[in-house]
Amino acid sequence: MTRVQMELLQGTLDMLIMKALALGEMHGLGISRRIEQITKGTFQVKPGSLFPALHRMEEEGWLSASWGESENNRRAKYYQLTKTGRRQLETETQRWGRISLAIANALEA
Amino acid sequence: MRLERMVERMASAVRNLLRRPQVDAELDEEVRGYVEMLADEKMTRGLTQNEARREAKMELGGVEQVKEQTREVRAGHFVETLWRDLQYAARMLRKNPGFTIVAVLTLALGIGANTAVFSAIDAILLRPLPFPDGDQLMQVSQYNPKVKSPNPFVAPIRLEDWNRMNSTFQALTGYYAEDDSETSGALPEKITIAFVSPRFLQVWGVAPELGRDFSPEEERVGGAPAALISNRYWRRRFGENPKALGKQLRIGKAGIPIVGIMPSSFLFPDHDVDVWLTVPIGAPYTESRDNTWYTVVGRLKKGVTLAQARANLGTVQLQLGKQYPKPDADIAVNIQPLKNTIVGDVGRSFWMLFGAVSLLLLIACTNIAALLLARSSHRRHEISIRFALGASQRAILRQLLTETFLLALVGAALGLVMADAGAKIFQRLAADLPRVGEIHLDATIVLYTLVCSVVVTLLCGFFPALRATREGISASLAQTSAVQVSSRHRLQWLLVGVQVALAVMLLAGAGLLVRSFEELARVSPGFEPTHILTFHISASYAETADMKGLTHRIDGILDSLRALPGISETATSATLPGVPSEYAQELKIVEGPIDPNHKITADSRSVSPDYFATMQIPLLDGEVCREQTGGLDVMVNRSFANTYFPQSSAVGHHLQVLGALAKFYPTAMIRGIVGDAREEGLNHAPEPTVYFCFSAPMPDPYYLVRTHNLPMTMAETVRKRLAQLEPGRSVFGISPLSDHLSESFSENRLRMFLLAFFAATAIALACIGLYGTLSYSVAVRKREIGLRIALGAMRGQIATLFLFKGLGVCALGCAAGLALAIGFSRLLAGMLYGVSPTDVLTLSAVVVMVLALAAVASLVPAVRASRVNPMTALRYE
Repeated sequence: MTRVQMELLQGTLDMLIMKALALGEMHGLGISRRIEQITKGTFQVKPGSLFPALHRMEEEGWLSASWGESENNRRAKYYQLTKTGRRQLETETQRWGRISLAIANALEA
Repeated sequence: MRLERMVERMASAVRNLLRRPQVDAELDEEVRGYVEMLADEKMTRGLTQNEARREAKMELGGVEQVKEQTREVRAGHFVETLWRDLQYAARMLRKNPGFTIVAVLTLALGIGANTAVFSAIDAILLRPLPFPDGDQLMQVSQYNPKVKSPNPFVAPIRLEDWNRMNSTFQALTGYYAEDDSETSGALPEKITIAFVSPRFLQVWGVAPELGRDFSPEEERVGGAPAALISNRYWRRRFGENPKALGKQLRIGKAGIPIVGIMPSSFLFPDHDVDVWLTVPIGAPYTESRDNTWYTVVGRLKKGVTLAQARANLGTVQLQLGKQYPKPDADIAVNIQPLKNTIVGDVGRSFWMLFGAVSLLLLIACTNIAALLLARSSHRRHEISIRFALGASQRAILRQLLTETFLLALVGAALGLVMADAGAKIFQRLAADLPRVGEIHLDATIVLYTLVCSVVVTLLCGFFPALRATREGISASLAQTSAVQVSSRHRLQWLLVGVQVALAVMLLAGAGLLVRSFEELARVSPGFEPTHILTFHISASYAETADMKGLTHRIDGILDSLRALPGISETATSATLPGVPSEYAQELKIVEGPIDPNHKITADSRSVSPDYFATMQIPLLDGEVCREQTGGLDVMVNRSFANTYFPQSSAVGHHLQVLGALAKFYPTAMIRGIVGDAREEGLNHAPEPTVYFCFSAPMPDPYYLVRTHNLPMTMAETVRKRLAQLEPGRSVFGISPLSDHLSESFSENRLRMFLLAFFAATAIALACIGLYGTLSYSVAVRKREIGLRIALGAMRGQIATLFLFKGLGVCALGCAAGLALAIGFSRLLAGMLYGVSPTDVLTLSAVVVMVLALAAVASLVPAVRASRVNPMTALRYE
């Protein structure tokens, strides 16, 4: 197994979900697969983390949801980034950048 | 932004709660869709439909768990589960009415007693005085630091100086109260008058309900007279008729118009005051710096601290000391929050009682905890099933705590009702205590009981709930109620032991107070308090202008009363014998050297010469004093003679009063020595005492009449005779001396009764706890008992086994309780009389009593254990 199983920090998971949705609306499984893809398989999001996160973010107003048909004609709930969500993604990205830089510096020191 | 989000989240919560079925259905569909798509994905990789389904479900984990986790993040989830938990809890409690009733009553008792005492503490000690910004009110007094005698009263002229010169008070005012007669009606009526300095209502921040305050002219000499009357007097005398304004009161020779009526909440200096009159500034008797008679109250400016006020007024007094070296240089200022002086030292009693009821609540909690532990073992099956169905430990813990909380809440509500009733009874019992009239149920008290129930929930629910859930699924479904003597059992016994220990502690305290009271009743006071009738006859201080006339009037009254059949002796005294009124006076023996290291101080009392015969205080040496026209006679008690005249007889020596009062007292000769009497209260050993022989130490002394029969049977005779003698004066406060004596112990008695009541409740709860735990233990061990009996154990042995189990735990509890009682005995110091806080007799009586009660409580379950039928017990499983 090359995949690293990680417990995602809540903020990180939110950020990854929003990043995954930045390109367009997607259903739960799609988001999960997309995250695997963009992190090159480092992160595998389990449904037990994914659904609570999606519902929470929906209630925060970062995501909006609508029902639609999947590729295989399954009824699925599609999530989409709202304006607030985009702003949140930006702030999160900047924050993450600062933190990772700081940690990288700290570890080199 | 934040607000926006909050609003949004609230909206989601409302939506989630209102449209729960739909929201749930959508979640269900979403998760199902996820599984199906995952299965589709797997089928494209070549798995069969069934295999794909199976793997997809495995990858998901439990469908129900995922859904539950998702629900938990939803807004409103808390409310939703709380509601569900409460419904479930209510159902569980309804299903076990026996348990519920016992638990609710126990908690109601614990919380009710606690709340009742707290409501008294809140009203009397914590809440500010019932005046606007009551915490700004200070009592200000003057004293001479060089003299022991505490004369707190302030000269009117000095009060005016303080008002003019200080910078920390909004205003200072003074008052003094006396009883007089109002004679405009058919009969003279006794009224209590408070004479007040200017700025009186300004300091209180209270306006008259009808009419107006005194005008500045009325507060100055030569101004028109004016009276404010109390609401009570208005009701009593004028039937609340607003036309009372402007009516004339006749007091002495003066007619005084009523200018204002105070609101019923205004009760100062106390609830007896009927009329307030001004003392005009500039009147000749207010000009002397030695005439001290005001009790002074000041209102601090906003933001000024007590320390600043003390420093400021101290400086003012120093300046006055330079300006008027005599007497102001000797005078210092004392400032205390008015609340402290009103409340006095009842605080200690209340905090002690609060400690007692907190222990009681703790016992109640322990009791409930033991009950819950016993019950949780019955509910293992249910809890295991819930674990198996996917409930998290947290969810079950929450559920169990909600049940306890519901119990506590119902108990608290019932407790609140009990506390309210208790407070009413308390007000009746303790009418003499300060501020008891202010005790009532309000939001603070309700909040307090709510906090109580939360604390109770955590105290008694948390541990049993944690234990019940910790075992989780490991206490598997397969294992039914197999016999176990587990550690849970040991914990329950520990709780019983704790209850016993706490109850023993309370009982020890109550026992010591009861013993103190017994000791007090056994004390010989040195005077004969029965068959004495006491009363007052209204008079005004103005009469002191003619001391000779005053003395003549009082002597006349005493003589004609003595002539009445049924009365053997009559006397006056400035203070009541046996009722605390300490007034220490520094003296000098004229014939002796003055040794500055051995000051002569004595409790000084002013009595008429026939006081000793009336009170039956024996004459030991010399003769009884006589009222002197020129000089002054004194009597001393044995302690005084023994302390200050160890070698020679005291009789014939002369005493001179020192300090501020020196000029009012001529040199006095010691005529005789009388026996020691407990003048300062039955719980005070006699101090060296000097009796100054005046029949008229004040215009309105206490009259003491020795009667042949019960004192009150003479009341009407005395009243009629006085109506003939003094038609213009009212007679009031007629009561037997024994009533005054018992009143002076009302706080002690109340404290003793309440503590005894709480202790009795505590031991009852502890016994219930013991009974319950032992019964439970018998029930759980039924099979074992059956087996033992089947194997030949004697029934007596079985009973003894359980009896001793119960007694053993109680004995340990007693030992711990005694240790606690001795450890905390310091708390009772000062409340005890004649017994040591570690009195062996009391403590062993407590232990014997507790063990006897424990034996009774253990007997029933023990006998039940011995009656177990081995056949049914063994077949039972």
